[in-house]
Amino acid sequence: MKPHSNAAWALMLPAAAVMVFVAVLPLLAVLNYSFHDIFSLDKVFWVGTDWYEMIVATPRFWASLGRSALFSTLAISVQIPLGIAIALMLRKVGPRGASLMLMCLAIPLVVPTNMIAGLWLALLRPEGLGGQALSALHLTLDYKFTALHTWALILIVDTWHWLGLVVVLAYAGLSSIQPAYYQAAAVDSATRWAVFRWIELPQISGALWIVLLLRLVDSFMIYTEVMAINAGGPNDATTFLSLELGEDIKAYSYGTSAARAMVDFIFVLTLVWVFVKLRQSGEQTQGGPP
Amino acid sequence: MTRGRMWRLLACIGIAGFVLLPLGQAIVLSFTTTLATEAVPQGSIGLHNYANILRSPELRASIGNSIIYVLLNVAFCLIAGLPAAYGLARFTFLGDRHFLMFLLAFRVTPPVVLSLPIFILFARSGLVNSPIGIALVHCVFNLPIAIWILESFIAAIPRSFDEMAFVDGHSGLSFFFRFLIPAIAPGIAVAAFFCFIFSWVEVVFARILTVTAGKPITQAITSLFTFRTDWGLVMAMTVFSLIPGVLMIFLVRNQIARGFVIRT
Repeated sequence: MKPHSNAAWALMLPAAAVMVFVAVLPLLAVLNYSFHDIFSLDKVFWVGTDWYEMIVATPRFWASLGRSALFSTLAISVQIPLGIAIALMLRKVGPRGASLMLMCLAIPLVVPTNMIAGLWLALLRPEGLGGQALSALHLTLDYKFTALHTWALILIVDTWHWLGLVVVLAYAGLSSIQPAYYQAAAVDSATRWAVFRWIELPQISGALWIVLLLRLVDSFMIYTEVMAINAGGPNDATTFLSLELGEDIKAYSYGTSAARAMVDFIFVLTLVWVFVKLRQSGEQTQGGPP
Repeated sequence: MTRGRMWRLLACIGIAGFVLLPLGQAIVLSFTTTLATEAVPQGSIGLHNYANILRSPELRASIGNSIIYVLLNVAFCLIAGLPAAYGLARFTFLGDRHFLMFLLAFRVTPPVVLSLPIFILFARSGLVNSPIGIALVHCVFNLPIAIWILESFIAAIPRSFDEMAFVDGHSGLSFFFRFLIPAIAPGIAVAAFFCFIFSWVEVVFARILTVTAGKPITQAITSLFTFRTDWGLVMAMTVFSLIPGVLMIFLVRNQIARGFVIRT
């Protein structure tokens, strides 16, 4: 057991001070703006919860929320299983091949966020390699005007960007499994699924929780890539919560954008809270790793 | 070659192809002249785009700006993160779980939510257009990550290690610099790697905090998009922007897959 000492708070002070300045104060300011109508810095009127009522009353907001939730679900259900499958396969490739593949998969993580979409759009230009390949196969990717194609492209681009993080963390978890576990499973002639469910999955769950949470929240509030690909179009088909918020901020409507930011923040916080609670109850019932 | 091995080889080639295809296209374009000038006809292959980067003072400056604030951010995260990580790894205290929950909540807060008040607050504090401002604001998402990573590396060292150092008469700072930091050097490398990467690729805060000066590399690339975009130059700049990240991946390739476990 670790000793109990409230003096340890002194060690938290530098980090807490930074977080208060760059996160807590701005958040309190957003909360304050959201109850005001702000024409200019000296013309500020209290409006109570008017902005919130207005946002909740617009069907467009609920449609965006639905689209964000759908996109998050799709992104996670593609990226997490695919990442785990790749990590399991890399375990059999041998350390040098695996290290090479991990480095390769990590490269998209270091591409500046505003160029992720740019790289794909350059590839898909008619004179680009991807555009030429598509026309040779007599396929068209009409991401400007066909909603389904826009969704597919955003999902592919997001998967390209983040798959590496899932693979790297799942691979790390798998590497820490003692060979004795596998030998015991072989003695019991366990099925491949049983080995995965009872040996591999518990070992990678610690790393998977963090990647699942990061992916959940980041895909829920995806902005830069979607904006660059089709700016929420066609016809609002890819207008997610973050894009609506971006529109308000660009229009300099401080009050509405602050209220919208608070609503989005509350959604994100609720997701995190549910997530942490689920994890804690999972640990208690299964006795998973700390 | 068994059938299993062949399938794995094919899968690896497929995955690598998917990941490298857009990058390959970017590299090809970066050596191609896409906007003809009098001296250089369209479609010619060469280093013209890279020469154009070096010729443009704005593009050169943007590379420097990015490097400065990213390094500052790594320094801030390590300086503030190390004591916190040590405290969390070694002690329980009133509200420790709440503190971790607080860090988690802000790690996942979307930058757009905070962008407006951060701009106003930083404008009043004179931190707009300054690399210190961007380095500070990137702590919102990087400091929690640094603390998680460092905490898990410190927790892996038995507490008797600290006690031995204290018995030898080392205390406080001397223990931190002469014992703890060398012992968790790989952890510091991993934390620095993630802070570097996330700060380098971030665009929302970096854009709003650079109004007239100190533009980062990401903004320099965005400003190259006009109604006649020079794709070759854009891609040369993008390839340029990948170099530090790829170097970092290579340097920490053996450590990258360790110690990234969340605590709540």
